Amino acid sequence: MNAKYFGYTLGLFSLCLSVVGCKDKDYAIPEPKNELQNDCIKRTLGPNLAGLNIEFAYAMALPATRGKIISAQVEASIQGDSTTYLENKSYYTNGSGEDVGIPIGDSSVNQGNITTVTFTKDTNAVTLRYYYRIPKAAKGKEVRFTFTAKSSNGETVSYAMGPYAISNMDMALDLPVKDGDACFISVADMAVYNEKDATANADKIDLVYLYRAIPNITFKHALVSPGADTAYLPGIVLPPGVNRVTKVKKTWALRDFHLARLQYGIYIDDVDFRQLDMSGTPDYAINLKSEAGVWVETADGKYRAYIYINKADDGKKSGTISMKRYTLK
Amino acid sequence: MMKRYSTITLLLLMTLCWTGCRKDTPIDEDGLLITDRAECYVSNFELLGSDFQTVRTKNAEIDTVACTIGVTVFYGTDLKHLYPQFTLVTDAKLDPKITGFTDFSDLATPRTYTVISGNREVRKTYKVTVTVQPR
Repeated sequence: MNAKYFGYTLGLFSLCLSVVGCKDKDYAIPEPKNELQNDCIKRTLGPNLAGLNIEFAYAMALPATRGKIISAQVEASIQGDSTTYLENKSYYTNGSGEDVGIPIGDSSVNQGNITTVTFTKDTNAVTLRYYYRIPKAAKGKEVRFTFTAKSSNGETVSYAMGPYAISNMDMALDLPVKDGDACFISVADMAVYNEKDATANADKIDLVYLYRAIPNITFKHALVSPGADTAYLPGIVLPPGVNRVTKVKKTWALRDFHLARLQYGIYIDDVDFRQLDMSGTPDYAINLKSEAGVWVETADGKYRAYIYINKADDGKKSGTISMKRYTLK
Repeated sequence: MMKRYSTITLLLLMTLCWTGCRKDTPIDEDGLLITDRAECYVSNFELLGSDFQTVRTKNAEIDTVACTIGVTVFYGTDLKHLYPQFTLVTDAKLDPKITGFTDFSDLATPRTYTVISGNREVRKTYKVTVTVQPR
């Protein structure tokens, strides 16, 4: 008797499942809103450093029956540097994968903290790129943006983005170093000096770059604090007054995107410098290679920096370094 | 039909009771399985620098009878921040545990690590001697 009931129940469930499984889904083409609309995304990743761009893509559209777009503008809460601009081209990707720009209006105009593009082509849908060049004045602050589009029928739409924290870091890229020549590195000035200039800036020299090919040991490219044991400064005669003891911590494969400009999505941010533990670290780093780096803390405790080795050339006894610096006090 | 169902259910319940009451597998204070293995030795040793790259100039010399490990490191190695890595025989464990960078700068006093066998009955203390590559 029970088995019979089980059978009926199972049959009924199977039938229901078949009915549900075969039901057609209703689909209707979405109705576009009959008004001017906009949308925005931020395209850049990582910390926002002064001197770099923050890039946005701002899209706006309205039905052709309601008119055309006449202008687009961006208002930044902190005025960007003079190279801030809003694209006046709409891009499409051709069959070869290249982005081809179609001008839709005049080049953008910066007036104070407002950047505007006035449309000259009959346009009812477009995406424009906005490049905000971060000014030094924004360091340590937050910046917000208001994107606005206007149409010929008087409609206006706006889109707010942010706030975005602007980093306290400074950055210097591609500083050439050469053994016996431009080999005195100043974190305070974010510069590399030769012996003559190092003498004039003796109190600011934090590291010495040198290359040594010493038999039986691996020394090669090195960044050594001027105050380190002379065993790590073989053949180096320091200019008078160059004697700071800098903390140096060797790292490998920390290829910061801003410094290395390689495919790795790694970013050193303010918080990395703040949380860095430099206690007990030595005052030298030897046997450095391309794509290696060193964390540095200056003798006065004022700065922490990350120095990345972009290039190390054994033959020429030289290299190229890039630096991110954070001011502690 | 119903009688057969009842018999199967009863059988299942009995199996469950038997499994539930079986004695637990022994584990040690670290939650690790205590096994029957009495082997107790280090099979490989690695030493990493602050950049997590090896600082060895060649393979470490491991003497499983004298219980010593000798390792030569590159000239200029920061001996205060070294990360030792031991490879042990199956089921063995190390005391003290490696929790991060370790100071090996006192070259006159080699650090010691004890290997404990899988059955937790054999203990062998290894002495790690670090030598810096001479210039």
